[in-house]
Amino acid sequence: MTNLSLVFKILALADDELILGHRNSEWAGHAPILEEDIAFANLALDELGHAQLWYALYQEFTDTEPDYLVFFRGAADYRNAQFVELPKGDWAFSMLRQYLFDTYESIALPQLVKSSNARIAEIAAKIRPEEMYHLRHTSNWVKRLGLGTAESHRRMQNALDELWAYALQLFVPLSDEQELIDAKVMPDPRVLQAEWESQVVAHLSASGLIVPATREPIATSRTQHTEYLTALLAEMQEVARGEVYGVEW
Amino acid sequence: MDSEWNRYEVFEKERVDLPHRNAGSVHAPDAEMALENARDLFVRRPNCLSLWVIPEHAIFAKTAQELQDDSWRDQEVPHNADSEIYLVFQKQGQIARETYVAHVGQVEASSPQAAMRAALETFAAKNVFVWWVVPERLVLKSEAQDAPSMFAPAHAKKYRMHAYYPVEPIMRELKSAQGMLESDG
Repeated sequence: MTNLSLVFKILALADDELILGHRNSEWAGHAPILEEDIAFANLALDELGHAQLWYALYQEFTDTEPDYLVFFRGAADYRNAQFVELPKGDWAFSMLRQYLFDTYESIALPQLVKSSNARIAEIAAKIRPEEMYHLRHTSNWVKRLGLGTAESHRRMQNALDELWAYALQLFVPLSDEQELIDAKVMPDPRVLQAEWESQVVAHLSASGLIVPATREPIATSRTQHTEYLTALLAEMQEVARGEVYGVEW
Repeated sequence: MDSEWNRYEVFEKERVDLPHRNAGSVHAPDAEMALENARDLFVRRPNCLSLWVIPEHAIFAKTAQELQDDSWRDQEVPHNADSEIYLVFQKQGQIARETYVAHVGQVEASSPQAAMRAALETFAAKNVFVWWVVPERLVLKSEAQDAPSMFAPAHAKKYRMHAYYPVEPIMRELKSAQGMLESDG
């Protein structure tokens, strides 16, 4: 097993958390109700905290500072799935995306806790309890919006139709990921996908939603991004890039 | 259509030797979401051992002043109603000082009025200026197994007061380097 395959995987995990956290932070001050504004901002902060843990591990392998990775990388060098970079959309869209991601994490983390790499196991153990709460909160919301009013149901179904094929990208293995699976560093994404589908299909159906038939991810490479990532990074990096890298604050 | 959600009073237990105390209120579509909103609003900081949420409509409340008028005692429902557990809460102390509506115990009664009467007898104390009784079946409590995901993560987080960030001295330094700082003299 080369360190390179592991390093790429860690970066993918970190970038997914960062970009999703950033997207969700866009709801701060705009969520439909005060309580949920705070709850969703908490969730966004948690994801940023998880990104920090994975970037710190990336730094141990590559000596690259997290601040550099986050604020001075262009879109082409980001390794997140397109799923997390899509604009926040309406409340249903953001809530459903977070739910689909939380379910994925709640299935992946118990496996990562058993990773043969001690640092990965340690980080996963730290993240896991928080993710259990995320899933509880977002699955409750999905049920209430899916079974709520005609409007909330319509918006949830639209969100699901749009998000489904993007969500499947979370389970596309990276090019050398098989090495990591064989070495029991990472769980097999195909196994995670089967468990994920069985859980989300059951919950979405119970929430009155129809799961799209496609099983083909809309994107398969993490080097390809939508134009939305460029716009997101332009905003997120604006202040940092206003100064030369490494300026002391 | 009334789009306002119901209000729930939030009770938080911060230490084993402290009772559940009123932390504030949240709005939510139902009790389960109220419990989650309570966690997100009030438990980002340690320490929380347990949370309760109580729908506003379930609270039968009397101030010490209101209790001087006895007419509420006549509003009792017929005695054939089933008796059940009511939780009793008090606000004690001096009004001017920081104080909480806190859980003091429970009584068994067949109506809010009967519960209030029982509470007044059982938990009589000086300086009580607010009494609440609430049927326990309408109180949603966090469960012991919720603690690792609901309360424990707060312990791992750093909370910094604004003074942690030395923004002002740095700004003064930058401005003075650029000759922008006006003389304080």
